[in-house]
Amino acid sequence: MTLSLARFCRHLLFFSRRDRLEQELAEEIEFHRALKQDDPAMGNITVAREESREVWSFMAIEHFWQDLKYASRMLRRSPGFTALAGLSLALGIGGNAAMFSLVNTLLIRPLPFHQPDRLIRITSVYPVAGLVLFQQESRAMDVAQVSSARDYNLTGQGEAVRLAGSAVSANLFSVLGVPVEIGRAFAPGDDRPGSDSSVILSHALWTSRFNADPQVIGRVVTIDNVDRTVVGVMPAGFSYPAARVQMWIPKRVDPSKVVAYYGEVDGAFSPLIARLRDGATLAQARGEIRAITAHLDSQFPWPMPRNFNLDARVISLQEDMVGDVRRKLLVLLASVGIVLLVACTNVASLLLARATTRRKEIALRASLGAGRFRIVRQLLTESLLLAFTGGVAGLLLAFAALSIFRSALPINLPGLAEVAIDVRVAGFVALLTLATGLAFGIAPALSASQIDLAQTMRGGGQRATRGFWARFRGWLIAAEVTLTVVLLVGAGLLTRSLQALVDIDPGFRPERILTVRIAPNQSFCKERARCIALYDELLRRARQVPGVLDVAAANTVPLDGQFPNQPMDIEDRPHTADFPAPMFWAGAITADYLPLMRIPVLAGRGFSEADSATTAGAVLLSESTARRYWAGLNPVGRHLRIAGETRWRTIVGVVGDVHQSSLSGGVPPGIGGAMYMPYSQSVQAGNELPAAMNLLVRTTGDPAPIAQQIRALAVEQNPNVPVGRVEAMESIVSGSISDFRSTMGVLLSFAITALVLAAIGIYGLVSHSVIQRTYEIGVRMALGASKPNIVGLIMGQSMRFVAGGVVAGVGAAVAFARLMSSLLYGVAATDPVTFAGVIVFLFGIAAMASSAPAWRAAQMDPLKSLRVD
Amino acid sequence: MGANNKAIEILPGTLDLLILRALVGGPRHGYGIAQRLRQVSDEVLQVGESSLYPALQRLLLNGWVRAEWGASDNNRRARYYTITAAGRKQLASECAEFARMMGAIQKVLETA
Repeated sequence: MTLSLARFCRHLLFFSRRDRLEQELAEEIEFHRALKQDDPAMGNITVAREESREVWSFMAIEHFWQDLKYASRMLRRSPGFTALAGLSLALGIGGNAAMFSLVNTLLIRPLPFHQPDRLIRITSVYPVAGLVLFQQESRAMDVAQVSSARDYNLTGQGEAVRLAGSAVSANLFSVLGVPVEIGRAFAPGDDRPGSDSSVILSHALWTSRFNADPQVIGRVVTIDNVDRTVVGVMPAGFSYPAARVQMWIPKRVDPSKVVAYYGEVDGAFSPLIARLRDGATLAQARGEIRAITAHLDSQFPWPMPRNFNLDARVISLQEDMVGDVRRKLLVLLASVGIVLLVACTNVASLLLARATTRRKEIALRASLGAGRFRIVRQLLTESLLLAFTGGVAGLLLAFAALSIFRSALPINLPGLAEVAIDVRVAGFVALLTLATGLAFGIAPALSASQIDLAQTMRGGGQRATRGFWARFRGWLIAAEVTLTVVLLVGAGLLTRSLQALVDIDPGFRPERILTVRIAPNQSFCKERARCIALYDELLRRARQVPGVLDVAAANTVPLDGQFPNQPMDIEDRPHTADFPAPMFWAGAITADYLPLMRIPVLAGRGFSEADSATTAGAVLLSESTARRYWAGLNPVGRHLRIAGETRWRTIVGVVGDVHQSSLSGGVPPGIGGAMYMPYSQSVQAGNELPAAMNLLVRTTGDPAPIAQQIRALAVEQNPNVPVGRVEAMESIVSGSISDFRSTMGVLLSFAITALVLAAIGIYGLVSHSVIQRTYEIGVRMALGASKPNIVGLIMGQSMRFVAGGVVAGVGAAVAFARLMSSLLYGVAATDPVTFAGVIVFLFGIAAMASSAPAWRAAQMDPLKSLRVD
Repeated sequence: MGANNKAIEILPGTLDLLILRALVGGPRHGYGIAQRLRQVSDEVLQVGESSLYPALQRLLLNGWVRAEWGASDNNRRARYYTITAAGRKQLASECAEFARMMGAIQKVLETA
């Protein structure tokens, strides 16, 4: 048959006129009848009409419509089943939709830069001299440099405010290939001394602080007390190197300032990124990096570690930006995929059960002439409608799920803000819905359509167990158990890790401590006495606030993300290439800091008010630092010097280790120790007194009500000084692992969802097999089987499948745990306690789920059960 | 149908062909087509309304016949069917096909 366009058009025409056609046909047949009155009656008018109608209409669509109406009636008739199946599908589909939007935006979609596949990151960090050398010598790359985000004071534009910014090489925006929204990007030479007082704003900053005024170009703003001219505004959505960065200032390139040029001052050691030039290959770039780094090493004016940076590698910029989040995303993606699989399996198993109980209804349809294909199609329509319901609900759930998943990722991840439920996600949900509908629908539909008409109609239907499909259901349950074990083990390992993290002694006691960040401009502290006086006065007044026990100030508090450090000279340890100046974490604290934080003094003494700007330099070492450099010796009385200074400082005591950088106790690479200086004697990069400090207050009771008073006090003291975050120390501690906590929460909720579904599946399987075996059970009881015998018989059957699932699940969980091993802390990926716990727990749940129907079976009256249909 | 021993059930698929052939002589209404087939086949081929009218709808849909309302011999309103050019083409090709098949069947019946 030729299905031409003309025929299709006629078909549409016929279809639209089918009422008139029907009238005409009736008239025509009437005429026919009138003429052939003499003939013996032959032919059936109804058939003629029906068949004609079929010619006019689109049967496929009409059948589909019928199927759909029928399906929705079936689903409405068993609301419990529909709600359960729809909800589990919605959970699975919604979770996957949210996860898809994250993975698509963060891992798959190219970076929002020009030709992002040509952008690379050179691992390790380089001084400014490295940038210059790379720009001079590289033939394969255009190289730029970006400092990591740092806080700056923006003044002269409304209330003084502290904002994150990044110092970048003048060519950064051209290397990334992102044009400015208005104004201009930095020009070559904007990073030379004298012409480097410009700034580029983010779109968000431009709109929030400058009312999106286009006249902002050329305006002068004050950033950390330096007047800078606004030259450009970046387009909305641009965020690099971190989501919180609001402005970019040029990095100063000044070879005459040797320390700043080669050294680590103000985050000068920072990452290099590059764009491969046209025609250049990655291999060429690698070769160049090695050669140029070696050249750079030979230029340093002081000894550097041997083979400094020679292990630098090239990774794609995308890989660099996503970093270790990739692994976490993959774990979450796998988990949420498993949840959907469990949901599908569960619905398939429930549908299989329904298929057997609906056997009579289907047999009736078959005997009325429905073909096997038609029945399969009918049942598949039901599954697809179910999946569609789940898909729509899932799409709504995805919005909630996305905000939960987001909390499991670092807040500063560039691009995280752009993740949204959009058309692409909706398309993904549509595909997923179709796939799940077919996946869980096909087996039940096939099983239901395999019907022995005569036998079913005779009435033995309920009793006859179809061997294959009953076993198939068992396998589905086993698969569900397998997947559930995987998720439970994952969640269990994370829970144990979190417990280990919470149990960690971080080296201080965070209870009832408030911290207030106070950040005068660095220039305020040019005159050291002025800064010291500011904090002395603040501490004095804070101590008078009712409810305050102790007060202290420190340049950084543990786990707040700041990590001040200094290169150190150590007495009697001359620097060589094998022993370069070690970098120490460098705390600047007032006398009461250690007792306030309950950091113990292990040897010598702590600081007192007597350690002042005019007395001899005193430092404290952390316990592990003392052990590292003076193993077996007493370090008290020995000397340290900040590299570049002339005066030596005396070690007056050793204090307990504090987890400064992360709760798990890890330190950033390249840090070789930790020391404390009295605030009045302290220096930070550039040999100035640290200006930005934290006020710490230990209170008698709940610190929350006091927070406002302390804040007001600080603002009153000097209105030009931005008072930043006021935060309880405990919330800083828990905040440092909040994304870990969220990851665990997400995985745990996945595992619980899977577990509930599996329990429902097992319960359904056993209840159903009890119904099917009613007759057999009756016979057994009549022959003398005891109630425990019956319970054992029923439970034994289901527990065999559960046991199989557990065995397979343990194997799969080992692989899954290896995938997530980098997320774990203080617990092995093969932690036997977790595995044993999960196995016992799962068997317990499975036993509970199957014991109820088994017990009901044992309570049956054998006489009644023998009479069953 | 088919209980009457002088009537024969029409081979499936050939009804369209027969209708088209019956229309080559000129426009006919439904009853006229049935009459024509019966006469020409010496009362062997009897077409009932239940198969005739759906078949005509199919032919209309395929564009092989056209239908127009007109007045019948006894001045009643009747629908007349006319074969179209496409219908003639279809008839020619189906006739050839049918002849080929009949020949083949004949051969098998005579020799096998």
